[in-house]
Amino acid sequence: MYLITNAIKNLVRNKGRNILLAAVTLAIIIGAVVTLTIHNAASRVIDEIRLDIGSRVTIEQDIMGMFRSGMGVEELAENTIHIPIHDWVRFADSAYLSNTIFNAEVFNLESESLLPVQATPPGTNILQDVPFRILGSSELDETLSDIIVHGRMFEGINEVVIDDELAHINNIELGDTIELNALLSTWGELAGRELADKPFELTVVGIYSADLYERPLFRFSDIFTSFETIASAGWESNLGLNMTAEYFLRNPDYLELFENEVRAKGLPDTYIVSINQPAYDRVAGPMLSMKSAVMTFSIVILILGSLVLALISFLVIRERKYEVGVLRAMGMERGKVAFGILTEAVVITTLCLVVGLGLGNAVAQPIANGLLGNRVAAAEARSEELQQDRVAAVVVFGGQMQSEHSIGYRPESEITVAISANVIIQIIIITLALAALSGIIGVVIITQYEPLKILRERS
Amino acid sequence: MKCLEIRNVSYRYEGGTDNVLKNISASFESGKVYAIIGQSGAGKSTLLSLISGLDICRDGDIYYNGKNMRKIDRDEYRAKNVGVIFQSYNLLLNSTAAYNITLSMNISDSNIKERQAKKNHAYFLLDKVGIDRETADRKILKLSGGEQQRVGIARALSHDPNVVIADEPTGNLDAKTEKSVLEIISRLAHEDNKCVIIVTHSKKVTAIADEVISIQSGQLLCKPMNL
Repeated sequence: MYLITNAIKNLVRNKGRNILLAAVTLAIIIGAVVTLTIHNAASRVIDEIRLDIGSRVTIEQDIMGMFRSGMGVEELAENTIHIPIHDWVRFADSAYLSNTIFNAEVFNLESESLLPVQATPPGTNILQDVPFRILGSSELDETLSDIIVHGRMFEGINEVVIDDELAHINNIELGDTIELNALLSTWGELAGRELADKPFELTVVGIYSADLYERPLFRFSDIFTSFETIASAGWESNLGLNMTAEYFLRNPDYLELFENEVRAKGLPDTYIVSINQPAYDRVAGPMLSMKSAVMTFSIVILILGSLVLALISFLVIRERKYEVGVLRAMGMERGKVAFGILTEAVVITTLCLVVGLGLGNAVAQPIANGLLGNRVAAAEARSEELQQDRVAAVVVFGGQMQSEHSIGYRPESEITVAISANVIIQIIIITLALAALSGIIGVVIITQYEPLKILRERS
Repeated sequence: MKCLEIRNVSYRYEGGTDNVLKNISASFESGKVYAIIGQSGAGKSTLLSLISGLDICRDGDIYYNGKNMRKIDRDEYRAKNVGVIFQSYNLLLNSTAAYNITLSMNISDSNIKERQAKKNHAYFLLDKVGIDRETADRKILKLSGGEQQRVGIARALSHDPNVVIADEPTGNLDAKTEKSVLEIISRLAHEDNKCVIIVTHSKKVTAIADEVISIQSGQLLCKPMNL
């Protein structure tokens, strides 16, 4: 017991050197708390982004790859392999997936019984017919259900929701049937194939009202239905049809397994199976950069801090050589002297741990905000530069939509930094290591001291 | 009764070429004061280091109560059986005089267990060597050389050792304190039956000694009367 009391008294007696030791230890601990807290919070956010974006798989024709391999536009068209709609559906039947969202768009439609809505395109004052589109989605569109003013959302096959303007000019009421014809023969002629037009008989179960300017995604002549309604129409090819499928992996690590599976199911080599890497990079980029920076900073702090601490500990113990000599001459065993020195180191580092956890936690959030804010601003600036030379166009090949994948995604700019049990455990381990480093240096040195030698040097 | 015995002890410092002590034999009894005299560099302090267990001889053996010093725990021997009064005091400079004494009692696992009792005993010992309560609570750094010497003496007695070894214990004391310290030392041997070994140049010290041992060039010149 007296050893501990003596160690604590020594701390007070030798304030100067202990304050120096404590300052270095505290700096290391605060640095470690801040960096580890930010690192852990960033890892958590990155995991969430990975789960969100990294689990969304798209299957697309590798247009860029085909271009790069030297194909011209004509060759590209010749080599384009159309994946039938039922294959897209078949790919979704996988144990690696948690969900799939299909979106299909039938365009180039005409109707003998329906009048199209007329609208003035932006920048002109000429009224034009707005072409009909049938849009089918396997995902319940909450945006659409929010603006239904009469009736209900579609549920069964061939049930549709239409625009109130379209309903008004055609005197359509709920329960009425509308007829449209997909002009596939036109596409067939262009592709040198014989295709019959595809008729649709659809029952209106809901009417929505959208402000064109507030809701630019909705067009007056858009007819919304389920994906099953479009899929069940039977499609020999994808001509006249735009199709997207988003497959959601149960775990982002299943990507390769899922790709192997769809290849085995017949996915051509000219198609690529990928997550939305550009979107992931855009959203997670600043966070990844910050995580990497704090990790580097953390390593630098720990290495430099430990070196400084080791040096100070070495100098301090040399300064205490006389004291060690006196204690040894009085008969205190080496182990007890070492225990006293270790106790001092543990007490200093424990105090620093408590203060460091509090201070580190207090400054971690503002530091994280600052670091992330700078990186997000830099990422936005880079993105704007790139956008100046790009047209965010939709390129349609083989019934598959390809677009600028990162459009609509913004870098994650918020992070909630809070000290966690995990960080506390990591910090305690670091603190113990620092105490051990500081104490063991002392112990190693004093075990080499013979009391008489020390006292003789002093004399 | 023989308390300490040295047999054919020779000693050479690391890296040295000549023996500092050359085949020395002597014995020390409880209840007596021994004065070791000799010129500087004769080997007096080296001999004290060996019998106080701070160092170990290369050749020959030293026995404490019949046990070879090579075979006993020298830390425990220093802590419990021997009290050393160093010429250069060797006190903990940042601690108070009283704390130096109580720490010594703690290290020796003194019979006095209670904290306050230890402190009171420390004050008592310090008072015996002329250190008052106020001075006892001052840090060693703030004490004069003579005061430090007296604290060193009190510390050597703090754990009631069988052997008291002193290297020039009165070198820094005024005449009055020297007299009082010599009385204490004399009583330790003659009343408390301790074995007291003093390295000294002082005639006042040799005057109270029961035996005087002279060392010259590492050899005993005149043997103690009882050898």
